[in-house]
Amino acid sequence: MAELLGLFLFIGLTSFGGGITAYIRRLVVTQKKWLTDEEFLPGLGLVQLLPGANLVGLAVYIGNHLKGPLGSAVALGSLLVCPFITTCALGFLYFHAGKTTDTKALLAGITAAACGLMASMVFEAGEKAIKGAFDVFLIILTFLLVRGTPSFELLHHRIPSIPHLSVPMVILIVAPLAIWWHRPRPNKELPEQNGEAKP
Amino acid sequence: MNKTLFQVALLFSTLSLSAFGGGKVVLPSMHQSAVGEYHWMGDEDFVNLFSISMAAPGPSMMVVTLVGLKACLPYGTTMAIIGALVATLAMFVPSSFLVYFAGNWWDNWKESPWRHSVMDAILPISTGLILAATWIISKTSIHTIPTAIMGVIALLLMLFTKINPVLVMGVSGAISWVFLK
Repeated sequence: MAELLGLFLFIGLTSFGGGITAYIRRLVVTQKKWLTDEEFLPGLGLVQLLPGANLVGLAVYIGNHLKGPLGSAVALGSLLVCPFITTCALGFLYFHAGKTTDTKALLAGITAAACGLMASMVFEAGEKAIKGAFDVFLIILTFLLVRGTPSFELLHHRIPSIPHLSVPMVILIVAPLAIWWHRPRPNKELPEQNGEAKP
Repeated sequence: MNKTLFQVALLFSTLSLSAFGGGKVVLPSMHQSAVGEYHWMGDEDFVNLFSISMAAPGPSMMVVTLVGLKACLPYGTTMAIIGALVATLAMFVPSSFLVYFAGNWWDNWKESPWRHSVMDAILPISTGLILAATWIISKTSIHTIPTAIMGVIALLLMLFTKINPVLVMGVSGAISWVFLK
């Protein structure tokens, strides 16, 4: 249990940006050998399907797998405690000293790179998502419904942007369409996904 | 004060259960609520908080901690910490319960072809939402040619190398601090 706590404290402190699931797999499956791939990959598939941050879901899954409900709680708590403290500290720093030209310039650079990072995630997610033209349509449809009307683009004044539809509403509209399109079809070969490898 | 705390708890527990496809997909929704509906902050603060959370360690959606902090900051430092805590728990606990309880159900479903259908259906939607999130962040933050260039370089580095994203953000921040001040 102490090892579980230690590992997720460590993961909490060292997990940045993308590629985290591969990193956890390496730690838990390859190095510590707490789980086999056959145990880890279905869990990964599960947390990718369910709502929530994948890293958090994996912590709960691994904790539960090793030590039951208490293991889940320990993994979740130790994963979040260090990020919570550092993030709060940075937040206070920002609100107390964030308005100087120095920090503004620093943040502008960090944000520019963060945009690039986010854009790269669009590519990565798109690569997995696009199996046909209809998937491209679904991506664009989701984007446009969330973004709202084109006039939204012209608001470079500080008018609160009023998007067309709330995100849950968009999901309610697009999800049935998407599930219908991807419904099981007898002669369609099921694509294998990462985290879906069958034993 | 209690009203704000309640709004924080309600918003993030809702987001927690609607984050299909990982944490980043709730960003557009969070932006709609935190900036548009509740007026906890403006676009600029929202984007800056997002960048700070990206540069800090932790799961992808630590920005919720900062949004909770900012929402309750007008009521004092202690309240801000409580707000941050409430936001964090509201964001990560409900989805964790779901993972915990869904485990058995998931195993029973292993053979169903609908499992693939649902996964295939979620992927394009989450991609669209991440695209929307990218657009929101870029729209607010990329105003000048140098920042646009840095964004594109960061994108290319992320796509074609295995470089650590925090290093990219750090270097980009330093360049901006030195040259664009």
